[in-house]
Amino acid sequence: MNQHTYLRAYMAGIVVPTIFFLVIATVFYIWRYVYNVPVPIERVLVFPMAFVPNLWGLWNMLFIASHSRTRLPIGLHGALLPLVLAPLGILLFRVLDFPALPLFAHIFPIAAPIGLIAYYLVWKYLVHFLNAVLGIA
Amino acid sequence: MNAHDNNELRELLTRSIAPMNDTELRRDLWPQMLQRLEQQHSIRVPWFDWTLAAIAAAAVILFPEVIPALLYHL
Repeated sequence: MNQHTYLRAYMAGIVVPTIFFLVIATVFYIWRYVYNVPVPIERVLVFPMAFVPNLWGLWNMLFIASHSRTRLPIGLHGALLPLVLAPLGILLFRVLDFPALPLFAHIFPIAAPIGLIAYYLVWKYLVHFLNAVLGIA
Repeated sequence: MNAHDNNELRELLTRSIAPMNDTELRRDLWPQMLQRLEQQHSIRVPWFDWTLAAIAAAAVILFPEVIPALLYHL
């Protein structure tokens, strides 16, 4: 079971955000179409739908590739991912001229530490578990 | 292969393979096996991680406006 290690790392990495996207999409669509919030969420939904899961997979591949040299714990490795994702998300907001950008900038000092903690815990427990299931932990 | 060959082969095998006298286990291995199985299935969460989770949960409750931003990036 030591073949296609990076493919298995990618697959283990995309599981959590792919499943979680169902929750995100449900919440956003209810927010938009049930409560009629006048924010065009569908314009930026491509980010959690496509960018985030793929980056998780690539980030897990990077973890497997670099762990023998860096010895960085998987939780800390995962906590670094928002530092890549957040600027990309904000950039997409700017490119698509998303109207809620000032609000996001306002709450960033609170959201950033919570995001780091969430990523640390999810990577430490869920992604680590999935890596172990696929025999790459 | 006749009877003589069979006897010769039996003698050769008897000589080359040492008889096993002590076939009993010196100790019971099952408790160790159970302990290993339990270690594999139980996830120990240190107090530090519980504290972090509590801080994050409290922050989300206190500042619910961060939820869309978090969902967007998770």
